[in-house]
Amino acid sequence: MNKIYGLERADLEKWLSRWSEKSTVYCPDEGDGRGPASFSGWKVWAGDVLPEIKPGPAKCSIKTFYFPQPESLHTFSTASDDPDAFLLMEAERDRSANVLVGLRPCDARAVYLNGLPYSKDPYFQHRDSRTTLVGFSCLEQCSTCFCQEVGGSPFDTHRLDIAITEIKGRFIAEVLSERGEALVDGAGGAGPASDKEIAELDRLKNEAKVLKSDSGENLKAKELMALYNAGFWDSVADSCLNCGACTFLCPTCYCFDIQDEVVGNKGRRIRYWDSCMFPLYSQHASGHNPRGMKMQRVRNRFMHKLKYFPDRFGPLSCVGCGRCIRECPVNIDIREVLKDLLGVE
Amino acid sequence: MSQINSKITEEIRSKVKALLSAEEIAAFVGFIDGTLPMTARPFTARSPEDADRLVFNSFCVVNPAVYLPPLLKSLEPPRRPTDPLPEGPLPKVGILATGCWSRNISIQLQENQIARERVVVLGTGCRGMVDMRKVGSIIDGREIEKAYELDDRISVSGKGFSEEILLEDVLRDNCLTCICPNPVIMDHRVGGQVPDRRVDNRFPFVDEIESKSLDKRWEWFQNEISSCIRCYACRNVCPLCYCPTCFVDDSRPQWVGKSLDPADTSIFHILRAFHCAGRCTNCGSCETVCPMGINMRVLTSKLTKDVIDLYGTEAGVDSDAPLPLTTYSETDRQDFMV
Amino acid sequence: MSQSWEPKIIAFLCNWCSYPAADLAGVGRMQYPPNVRIVRVPCSSRVSANLILSALKSGADGVLVSGCHPGDCHYISGNLYARRRFALLKNLIEFIGIEPGRVNFFWAAASEGGKIVEVMKTVSASVKELGPAGRMVKRFDVPARSPQQKFA
Repeated sequence: MNKIYGLERADLEKWLSRWSEKSTVYCPDEGDGRGPASFSGWKVWAGDVLPEIKPGPAKCSIKTFYFPQPESLHTFSTASDDPDAFLLMEAERDRSANVLVGLRPCDARAVYLNGLPYSKDPYFQHRDSRTTLVGFSCLEQCSTCFCQEVGGSPFDTHRLDIAITEIKGRFIAEVLSERGEALVDGAGGAGPASDKEIAELDRLKNEAKVLKSDSGENLKAKELMALYNAGFWDSVADSCLNCGACTFLCPTCYCFDIQDEVVGNKGRRIRYWDSCMFPLYSQHASGHNPRGMKMQRVRNRFMHKLKYFPDRFGPLSCVGCGRCIRECPVNIDIREVLKDLLGVE
Repeated sequence: MSQINSKITEEIRSKVKALLSAEEIAAFVGFIDGTLPMTARPFTARSPEDADRLVFNSFCVVNPAVYLPPLLKSLEPPRRPTDPLPEGPLPKVGILATGCWSRNISIQLQENQIARERVVVLGTGCRGMVDMRKVGSIIDGREIEKAYELDDRISVSGKGFSEEILLEDVLRDNCLTCICPNPVIMDHRVGGQVPDRRVDNRFPFVDEIESKSLDKRWEWFQNEISSCIRCYACRNVCPLCYCPTCFVDDSRPQWVGKSLDPADTSIFHILRAFHCAGRCTNCGSCETVCPMGINMRVLTSKLTKDVIDLYGTEAGVDSDAPLPLTTYSETDRQDFMV
Repeated sequence: MSQSWEPKIIAFLCNWCSYPAADLAGVGRMQYPPNVRIVRVPCSSRVSANLILSALKSGADGVLVSGCHPGDCHYISGNLYARRRFALLKNLIEFIGIEPGRVNFFWAAASEGGKIVEVMKTVSASVKELGPAGRMVKRFDVPARSPQQKFA
């Protein structure tokens, strides 16, 4: 049984203050209002008040923390008088502990999903081991939210250390992991939630579960080549511009490329975001490109999320946050693609 | 539904249906309703049935000319790169064109990206497209669930609110400074002629930046591009950007680094804008599609302003006049030189 | 800024007039500031915005571009096309906040060894006045910002 606390807003702010003594605490940034119906990202908590967290996910996904743009893997020198010239040195790693407050369950689920292919990646794991996630369940969803259709839920707790639900002005905090417990222990100021509050939380969770359907299992059961050769891909590709807006905003798009950069006589080997929407992504050194056509690239993005990934790891590699739907310049809607895929015989 | 736009929609549908049925064109680039309120999706109609889905409204924010060169190429019979084009007429493509879109088609013609005889232009006057960010700030960022377009206003509603917004208040900035609402080339007209807009100052934002000090300008620029995620939506939506290999993809030499370094992002934005110098038609697609809301059109507007000042040409308006950077005059100003 | 700081200036000189002018200066034992590093290019119109911005990105404190006088271009009109591009580029980079003295253009005929020396002297003095380039220079010690973090 998880420990469940009931807090007033002031108590929660006290927690944040206590946490920021030992770690960097990030909280939602209301930003400049460029994105509709959502806050723009996170900022370091300045020790004042917890900003209002608007419905829906932040515009920039949690990926901006887990996959820094760029990540320095190694450094090297190209100075001719340096005895260690061209030797790769391990880049300095971020040693700070981070607490992320106010992320949505979909973003936390994305960390869990990305952790599957990155289970042996030292950079990802290092960062994950130093990050505590304090999520806010969604009492209100956006029209572009569809987490229930892809295995998530507005009350999903995957990878969350503490899940907070705001019920009638009070914050009900469910402590879900040892890391979460470590934060709460000694932070003080909060009593256990009342039975009534726990009952209300259970009611909300059960209500949300009802909507859940199982697209993932259905797609896994379908034959790969039937989906691959489906007729609708051409019409999706007709509209697509092949920009990277969807992939770069997506919390579960984790592809990267590696390059060496040199400035003066200092160099670094960096890992930075790449997108399967770009022709260069799959271009061979010979000039041949196995995904040379736009349609092939569009198909790959959706097939990877909805078929290849679940076939290999189980869950769909989509958390239903709706960022790609909202920000796609040409309104390509992954929900439509999902529906089309499910309709393939 | 707006009377004006529904009439245009009807005319587009019947015209495109006729063209596709008669196999006069193989495909038509237009718009269909998007899945979210106040969105339109660029759409390639390939059958007469597809034509029934086409729409025209104030939310067609993407310049469809961007699809034209690759679509025409894809309709050519497959052949090796060195093989000549087959003899006889090649399949044609129809496209919807407002003022700025038609100017882009005109530029693509001038730059030999498309052949005039393969393009059928359905021209329509345009009263401007809606800036979703302006709408968002009027309704305080709340989510729109339903939107209904009338001739001069839009009624939007969502959870706990319902508002009527004047179209003029939420038009995109580029549309407010539009000098060419009616198409410059067309084969068929749909809808009526739109009166020219009275524009007192075509470059208010450029003037605003120009009046700042050097340091303030740099601060503005760095702040503006600081949220760039380098998704290249601005580049890919631009009908002027058709290079087979973009300068950002060059690796030897590498003009711009691939990650979010401020110097690299600066160079990307300067060069992207510079490549549009004398060619940009102020269609506003780049700015509209930017997921981060960067106002990169200020850069192309600055170039447009300078081109008018220095060389007196307007991109894509006069298809006989050469583009300003493909020509010269012996008397060009050179007072900027040492 | 220390007294000993000297600017680095990259000069793109065309093969037919400006480079021979610098050559003439050398043959004539005319001294020009050692701050200037010359890159020989076929024609001033070879100098794209990419090259100029790359020079700035790589840490050049100043850039000089020179070609034949109008009418003298070895390729008839290369410098005239280039002139239009340079005018627009210079305006654009000053618009976004690059100091006006960083990027300079001029014409030099093959016989103008004296002129090229004069220009190099004035430009290196004025760039020295401006100080080390800070804008558009790529550095590794600047921490990368995540997209949602704005300037304070």
